[in-house]
Amino acid sequence: MARMGMVFDLKACIGCNACVIACKQENSLPDGVFFTKTLSEEYGVFPMANRVFIPTICNHCEDAPCEKVCPTGATYTRDDGIVMVDDDKCIGCSSCSVACPYDQRTQMDADNFLKGLFGKGDITPFEEDGYGRYTPGTVTKCDFCSQRVDVGLDPACVVTCPTNARIFGDLDDEQSAPSKMIRERHGRPPLPEKNTKPKVFYVN
Amino acid sequence: MATAKSKGQPTANSLKSGRWVASSCKMCLHSCGNLIHVTDDGIINKIEGNPTNPSNNGKLCPKGNAAIMRHYDPARFKQPMRRTNPEKGTGVDPMWEPISWDEALDITAKEIKKSMDEDPRKILPSIEDFQKFNIWAWPLSFGNFNFYQSGGTMCGGAYHPINGFIHSAFGCANDAKYCNYWINNGTGDGFSSHLHAAAQANWVAKARTERNMRVVSIEPRLSIGSAKAEEWIPIRPATDRHFAMGMSHVMIKEGLCDYKFLKRDTNSPYLVGEDGLFIRDENRQCYIWDAQNDCAKLWNDKSIGKIALEGNYEIDGKACRPAFQVYKDILEECTPEAMSEITTVPAETISRIAREFAEAAQVGATMKLEDGRTVPFRPAGYNYYRGAQGHKHGAQTNHAFKLVNMLMGNIDAPGGHMGVVLDTKEVDINHCVPGESGMLTPNPHQLGPTPPFAYPPNTYHLMDYFPLGVNPPHFNLLVHDDPAHFGVEFTPDVIVNCHSNPVWAMQGPRTKWFDFLRSMRFIVCVDLIPTEMTDWADIILPSSDVLETWNCTMIEPPHTEGQSFRQPAVPPLHDTKSEEDIFYEISERMGILEAYNNVVNLTLGFEGHPELMLELDKKYTDKEIAERKGKLWNGEDIDWYMERGHSVTEKRLDKWYRPWEGSRLHFYIEDMLVERDKLKQNMEDANVPFRDEWEWDDYQALPSTTLDPVHEEPPEYNLYAITFKDIQINFGESLSNPWLKDIVYRDPVHTGLLLNPKTAAAEGLEQGSIVFVESPYGHVYGRINVSEGMHPETLGISNALSRMKSKDSGVLPAGGHFNDMLPYDLRNTDAATGQPETVCKVKITKLDDWPEFLKDGHTVYDLIAKNEQAKGKGGQH
Repeated sequence: MARMGMVFDLKACIGCNACVIACKQENSLPDGVFFTKTLSEEYGVFPMANRVFIPTICNHCEDAPCEKVCPTGATYTRDDGIVMVDDDKCIGCSSCSVACPYDQRTQMDADNFLKGLFGKGDITPFEEDGYGRYTPGTVTKCDFCSQRVDVGLDPACVVTCPTNARIFGDLDDEQSAPSKMIRERHGRPPLPEKNTKPKVFYVN
Repeated sequence: MATAKSKGQPTANSLKSGRWVASSCKMCLHSCGNLIHVTDDGIINKIEGNPTNPSNNGKLCPKGNAAIMRHYDPARFKQPMRRTNPEKGTGVDPMWEPISWDEALDITAKEIKKSMDEDPRKILPSIEDFQKFNIWAWPLSFGNFNFYQSGGTMCGGAYHPINGFIHSAFGCANDAKYCNYWINNGTGDGFSSHLHAAAQANWVAKARTERNMRVVSIEPRLSIGSAKAEEWIPIRPATDRHFAMGMSHVMIKEGLCDYKFLKRDTNSPYLVGEDGLFIRDENRQCYIWDAQNDCAKLWNDKSIGKIALEGNYEIDGKACRPAFQVYKDILEECTPEAMSEITTVPAETISRIAREFAEAAQVGATMKLEDGRTVPFRPAGYNYYRGAQGHKHGAQTNHAFKLVNMLMGNIDAPGGHMGVVLDTKEVDINHCVPGESGMLTPNPHQLGPTPPFAYPPNTYHLMDYFPLGVNPPHFNLLVHDDPAHFGVEFTPDVIVNCHSNPVWAMQGPRTKWFDFLRSMRFIVCVDLIPTEMTDWADIILPSSDVLETWNCTMIEPPHTEGQSFRQPAVPPLHDTKSEEDIFYEISERMGILEAYNNVVNLTLGFEGHPELMLELDKKYTDKEIAERKGKLWNGEDIDWYMERGHSVTEKRLDKWYRPWEGSRLHFYIEDMLVERDKLKQNMEDANVPFRDEWEWDDYQALPSTTLDPVHEEPPEYNLYAITFKDIQINFGESLSNPWLKDIVYRDPVHTGLLLNPKTAAAEGLEQGSIVFVESPYGHVYGRINVSEGMHPETLGISNALSRMKSKDSGVLPAGGHFNDMLPYDLRNTDAATGQPETVCKVKITKLDDWPEFLKDGHTVYDLIAKNEQAKGKGGQH
């Protein structure tokens, strides 16, 4: 069975956030909610200062703390390793939010859907079309665009990335693009000390 | 809100049942290929890049990803409207009253015609749709050359004319396909801005990751490009020319140049007399010094033994030097040490970069192209744009950058520095034309004809005096301050505005621009959404948007060519019309339909193609125009374009690599002096009273080391201030878009005024200090974000902090406008090209609190605080 994962190429990433907006488009996310983010961190001292752009996303951990603490089984792992949320089962207790060391769980606030993206209660046809997938109060997250994966497409953030900084594929396949990149460029997971076995890796 | 979920049906937007429409983006002025997903219910719910377009290769930038939110913006103008509130101002409610299209068009045409009948010069066009030159050129229908829009001087006032001189092209870029050493000076090309941002980022990322192309970025602020570069070289603002001249000094002194290229492919061996003009024979042919036979010969004399680039000679007793020697003499004083004093870049860095660049350029190497030609292979390029070129001595600055490239022989060579055409209209047109005395025909006017000299002036922004330049719209304000001083005999009273926001985009104090706008009898705005400018309109003519209309255009794509096609994904959401419909209706009502069709035929290149020519007495739709443009490019009909969404291919080699083969490039721009002297003579003959104020020294055939006047402001203004955008706010309107707003104001470069922490400490400031920033010309309020990524002499002000609150728009004010702090005078404008200075000197005063007008809870800083507070609450990020 496949084990889907993602590699972030930090050399390629320009922090443009096209991925973030592609995700908002694909998933009809309300204002202030992100399934992926690209952080910008400055380091060093002038003139040797620099800035690094760090894409972040649900790491689809093999030992997912959010799944372990979920009291209702709403958080579960698919056969291909994608960590999912069944919001019919989610009771919005936010245990997962507390457990996730990566701050990747987001509670859907009912106000957000009422306010709309333009903030004045004007719900656009785009929102009308898309908000139905969410249940206010539940705690959601990135699912690697699992429905796209099911039909052989890459996640929306991967497809749009101008610099090909997001590489998606089967980590169990040694010949897959992410496997090769992890091997050849010494990919490392985020916060390995948390022992969550992320399926997301970073290369320089 | 619908909460029921239909189990089994996809909830991912791109997978919902629907269709994909192949079209093109317009979230900036460029035109990446996209695919628009429309659900069975007719809702646009996903836009992706079109993978068949070799320009953007299926990629889109954040703005391209956000187009849906423009389309569905509830604030969009939904029908024509008339103002009922006589009081005008940005942020003042015009109290719109809906009216019919007929009434709106009748009023508009009547008011414009009134001015046209009195004096067509009283009409002030502000038409910024860069994807539709048929609309842009509309004022030519009544012989009007006025220009009240920012396109031009606030992007590349000097850049475009110099590209026109050197490459006969509009833009320029390095050749990402082969380049191994990419210098970016004051530009985000390949990372965050300018030419087809997503496309260029894609091409450059491949070069960086697959070929380890080295990037060196020179600029005062650590931008995205600098962050990704192998080396960031911080530089004092407005000294980039001196850096380039320092590099050139080293390259010449150390003999690193491509001398074969200089001798064969440029006019650098042409002999220049003491008056700065080429020595010519009676047929106006130029001379070269034959060092072997120690005599001057005509440039095309086959018997020349050895072409001299250096030396001092005499012809008929008149002293002369090869143009190369003239520049060498200028560069004599440009030692790395001397240029270091000006730029603050260490001398050893200037020398090292010069050597690295020259080594990477592989002078002498060649490449065999697929078309059979063997051409120089020069995989190193010096690229630059607004930050580096946008200064008083813009022409000289652009020229200095070009000369670094020319010394390496990399102009239009694989891997080198390339001219990028705007739209050659037909696939078989080569934009380069052989010119006089063996040289390439220069083409400084890339945007069409300019008005001939006239005094009194026929334009309100003095375009009558820029034979080589781009429109300087800031001079509208200069003239408005004192029309008599400039001999202007008319007073504009009508503004025709289309997708243009000069209230936001122009330099000079807003308060004065507001007075300027108040002096107008009538303002019509053709636009989609409310802006700072539309608050001033008397009539709103709502246009349909990019997802509802047709178009066909090519806009300076680097690496590719061909037409980006636009087709409606959905019918108009509201009672709106295409720009074509609007301007044809106005033209007909004004009685200028025939003249307008003539202009369109000329502008779009239909002239000479009887089957495409517009009939003069007919009105045409956007679809009919798009269809003709597509056919003009490659003969394909509209069905072909509708299926594909573009005719974009990689550049054809003969038009991309050395398209000027056989012509010499203008190392030495003699035309600068020729045109200066003509203008001088014209001004003398017409007894133009301000001719002595004209900055004649700005016309130089080669760059000089003269400092831009910004460096000579009173010493109390102890810091430089620069402004910048990034890829999220590249080019036009962005921040009314909630998705873009949601990312921009979480990025620390856009949430405060950027200042180096050591400088902040020296000024008694710290992170979060509220400040008053003053230049000699204007001021802004702001809050300090300390950043090690700032040159210590420089304050960085994001363009996201330079907006004004306007009626119904989501954009937020932040404490003023950077452009208020810029001058709009002759002293700070390049007389050669119209390029104004785009940096200023400032002093900073710490305040205890925000001024009252920024305490209403609706500023950028309030939004930032809200975002901060939301973190950690209920899992909201």
